[in-house]
Amino acid sequence: MKSLRTLLSRLKDARERAATVLSMNRRNLHYIYTRNERRHFQLADDKLLAKEVLVAAGVRMPETYRIYSYFYELRNLERDLDAYHEFVIKPAQGSGGNGIIVIVGRSGQDWLGISGKTYTLYDLQKHISDIIFGVYSFDLGDRAIIESRITQHAEMAELSPLGLADVRIIMCDNFPVMSMTRVPTRQSDGKANLHQGALGVAINIASGVTTHGRFLGQPIDRHPDSGIHLIGRTLPYWPEILDLAQRAARAVPLKYLGVDISVSPDGPQLLEINVRPGLEIQNVNQRGMLSILQAMTVKGGNLE
Amino acid sequence: MAGISSGHARRSAYLTALAIMVLLPMSVAAYKLYVLDYPLAGLIPAPSYNVEVSMQVDGHGDDINVHTYLPRTDSRQSVDNEQNSSGLFTAELKSDPLNREASWKGENVRGQQGILYAYAVHARHVRFNIPADMTIPGSYPAALAPYLADEPGIQKDDPQIEAALRRIVPAEKPAILEAVTRIHRHLQDNLANRDFSGYTDALTALKLGEASCNGKSRLFVAMARKLNIPARLVGGLVMQQGSKRTTHQWAEVYVNGHWVPFDTINDHFAEIPANYLTLYYGDLVLFKHTANVNFQYFFKVTRQLVPQVDAQTALSQSSLNITNLYAHFERVGISQNLLKILLMLPLGALVTVVFRNVIGLETFGTFLPALIAAAARETGLLWGVIGFLGIVLASALVRKSLDWMQLLHSPKMAIMLTTVVIVMMVTTVGGVQLGLFELAHVTLFPIAILAITAERVALMEAEQGALKVARITLMTLIVIAACYAVMDSLFLQSLILAFPELLLVVIALNLWLGKWIGIRVMEFLRFRRLILGSSS
Repeated sequence: MKSLRTLLSRLKDARERAATVLSMNRRNLHYIYTRNERRHFQLADDKLLAKEVLVAAGVRMPETYRIYSYFYELRNLERDLDAYHEFVIKPAQGSGGNGIIVIVGRSGQDWLGISGKTYTLYDLQKHISDIIFGVYSFDLGDRAIIESRITQHAEMAELSPLGLADVRIIMCDNFPVMSMTRVPTRQSDGKANLHQGALGVAINIASGVTTHGRFLGQPIDRHPDSGIHLIGRTLPYWPEILDLAQRAARAVPLKYLGVDISVSPDGPQLLEINVRPGLEIQNVNQRGMLSILQAMTVKGGNLE
Repeated sequence: MAGISSGHARRSAYLTALAIMVLLPMSVAAYKLYVLDYPLAGLIPAPSYNVEVSMQVDGHGDDINVHTYLPRTDSRQSVDNEQNSSGLFTAELKSDPLNREASWKGENVRGQQGILYAYAVHARHVRFNIPADMTIPGSYPAALAPYLADEPGIQKDDPQIEAALRRIVPAEKPAILEAVTRIHRHLQDNLANRDFSGYTDALTALKLGEASCNGKSRLFVAMARKLNIPARLVGGLVMQQGSKRTTHQWAEVYVNGHWVPFDTINDHFAEIPANYLTLYYGDLVLFKHTANVNFQYFFKVTRQLVPQVDAQTALSQSSLNITNLYAHFERVGISQNLLKILLMLPLGALVTVVFRNVIGLETFGTFLPALIAAAARETGLLWGVIGFLGIVLASALVRKSLDWMQLLHSPKMAIMLTTVVIVMMVTTVGGVQLGLFELAHVTLFPIAILAITAERVALMEAEQGALKVARITLMTLIVIAACYAVMDSLFLQSLILAFPELLLVVIALNLWLGKWIGIRVMEFLRFRRLILGSSS
């Protein structure tokens, strides 16, 4: 009798807790479709278009040095690049981090990549032609962006020694809902993608302090490669990060989105926006997002 | 941003559409059922048997004749789709009012030769009620005289049989029911069943106190005739899945204008099961053949479920009916079979939606599982899945090498399509060469969808790893199997053929699922720590 009662009360608890979790079906139907109009999706898919809108609204992003849309523009590539010591080459409509080259300096006539690989002028010309050709995007034809390389803030570099970490904040109706930082690991091969084995670290929105870690589907307290403590750290420039996220959310007509931000020594910079931000952030935070979203739509804000 | 009023309008449009999609088909179906009197029972598929008679002879250069009896369609059994493949033998069919006899004639036959005759059978179970007070008539029409006569194997006038009959049926003038009940019970209970394939006459069966089917049946017929009840032997086959040489015999007695069956081996009193196939009437030999040809035979029976034919014929007689509708399609060369696949596709898509949005399995595309399941109707599920995997993986491999060469999207996809076509041709030719004819049907697969799937497989492998591809492939296969099970259901096929308006209900279900915001089963697993608490 007693065990039946405990079972029933546990079931009741589970039902209540299940009601706090944002499911895929509900996210799509109640948040993405109702808050983001289809015609605005391209804002998130085309990095150049997004950048244009966001920078105009005062959102700080990596500086665009050059855009290559046509092959003939590549004739002056060497002279164009001479002005910059460090830069990133990426496709405007790429996905999954494909087609990105990070250059950190020169090595004689050639350029030095972040992984130590050297690129000749011909290699870079070929890579940019490939981007323009549409090799890294599903569409026929794309544009190649040359932009400034973000160096990490020292505290972020300590947390994420194996590559650029980003801060993902879910924004709904211009307010932050939940956040985490995604830290590349040896497992993820330098990429900040949770499914590829990056480390997720939950951040308390109000304080900017890290609360939980998650790696390969399991809770974790220390960085799997460096061993440093992940919990209880305050992110540098947290108020500025929230401000940047809010500024970005207000600048676009998308009202449910994920913003990805990196922290450089002199402040945060927006990397990109995402119209279909994933749900794994709930597991990283060890908390369901639906209850927060529902409380927000009643209160009209989420600054606990 | 959508205002409150437009949200309201959207909601009422949704509810109206939902109501129409449920109520309209329901009313049409109700109209068909109650006004047009559609036979609902005809929707349940009935068992049907494919029977193959395989005969073999060894020839030594002489002429060879083979005879056997073929079943005929009567009020209990229907026989159709007959096929004769007799190689160098010429077939000839003869028919008398009772039996159909087939003979095959071969000239100068050398070596081992085979004759194959196949047909499909659909039969009913029949039971007769003999009124208890019905007496044995004193005389019968002259045509029934042969069924009262003494025959070499049916020694009705033998004194020993007469004496035994007196003991079993002591009454001077027994009623028919009492007489046949006593004979049936005695033969069933007191005469042991023997599994013996040779010939036993009535007298021998009585003397031995045991017999196989033919001995018992002859004794039954002899005793019935002695009591002046017309009776005859029936030869046939008990249809069971598999191969067999054993045929069966039972008896029939003539009661008030009906031939009533009795089987004292399997205890069927005045009834005959649905899997009994009648081949001939009378004390005959099923196979006759030229001597010294090492004659061998066997029956191969496959059981399958088919939609009831008579129910579909009944449908065609009402005015608002689908078979008439289908006549339009047939006029332009679209077969009913293709139409059935077309009508089942939405159900397959619905199954896929349930798996994706309620259970939470990822699949390659929303339509792919249903389309592959539809194509697998020709290959069977196993070969369909093998063919699908082979084509997609081979094409994905080609895609990977194209990727390495770095080509533009459109020409790359055109190459993928060509690759799928080539792999398909190779699979078909290889299948035929190896005798895997089911596999040869992969050419029915949706080529464009396979090309797109192969492209996605290659892309996913590059971006998210082979493990992810393997996971989604496995989940896609599970959904294909589920689609196949649903789309292959004869009940659902008959239902949707009779009530194609049910497709609107499929739309209604999708409308409902389109607003379902519950947690998917796989999400329960994914967020189990959040839902069950950190303890588990």
